[in-house]
Amino acid sequence: MDIGTLTRPSARYSLIALIALGFVSGILFWGAFNTAMEATNRLEFCIGCHEMRDTVYQEYKESIHYSNRTGVRAICSDCHVPKDWTHKLLRKANASFEVWGKIIGSIDTKEKFEAKRMELATHEWQRMKARDSIECRNCHDFDAMSSELQKQTPYKKHMAAKAAGKSCIDCHKGIAHKLPKEYEEPEEQ
Amino acid sequence: MKNRKHKLGLVPVVAALTWAFSTAAFGVDIDAAKALATQNNCFKCHSVTRELDGPAYKKVAEKYRGKANAETRLIEHITSGEKAKFADGHEEEHKIVKTSPPKDMEQIRNLVQWILAL
Repeated sequence: MDIGTLTRPSARYSLIALIALGFVSGILFWGAFNTAMEATNRLEFCIGCHEMRDTVYQEYKESIHYSNRTGVRAICSDCHVPKDWTHKLLRKANASFEVWGKIIGSIDTKEKFEAKRMELATHEWQRMKARDSIECRNCHDFDAMSSELQKQTPYKKHMAAKAAGKSCIDCHKGIAHKLPKEYEEPEEQ
Repeated sequence: MKNRKHKLGLVPVVAALTWAFSTAAFGVDIDAAKALATQNNCFKCHSVTRELDGPAYKKVAEKYRGKANAETRLIEHITSGEKAKFADGHEEEHKIVKTSPPKDMEQIRNLVQWILAL
């Protein structure tokens, strides 16, 4: 097939047929693309690899985001994948590096994972900070916190954080996973 | 005079032995204790030396020094959700320290022993 075949106007199909074909193909492609992307947001996909299933997933199962009084559960993608389409696509593109990590086995044992936990966690904390903890704020909101229902001390800290322009990840690290052993709380002596 | 110097030279040795006896000899894993405290956000309200919303851990250790029920009392305090009194007089439930695996009393005991040994 020469390049002319691709660029020469069709003498066989009408313009309407070509537009209709393009329209239907577009819908099919878009649907398939979105379906595939949403499939990678499912918890089952995230724990499809033992690197996640044997480490962070086990920790997450002990956290309040997995099991709690009200029965509301946040899965991996709720915290680690943006909801809006553009940022979600960028996050998925960025995740292709994780596929490379899987291929070369950079965290294929618990020991390797622990050795890289600080680096991996730092990347995620930086990503969350850059997005102003939007994945947390999809559910949590300073303005929705009740001074009557929240304990006085955390309420006071939350309002101070709001006034200081802080976002969730500034104070809440390691809430669904173990903190890296190298991590030190700023106030710690 | 020489004898006094000799005795003074023993001070750091005695101090080191006291510290060793209060932590290592009782098998306290300091790193594990601090990691558990960090994981549970204990340092958001407590510092080792400074008063924050909660008392400094050294002050807690001082309060319970020599008391037979110290360990039991502190374990109860951090695992039952009992009321804690704050400097301004108000009371609220103390956070229940969580472990992984859940309810691992050895980890809780290690944390309490670390605090009491400060």
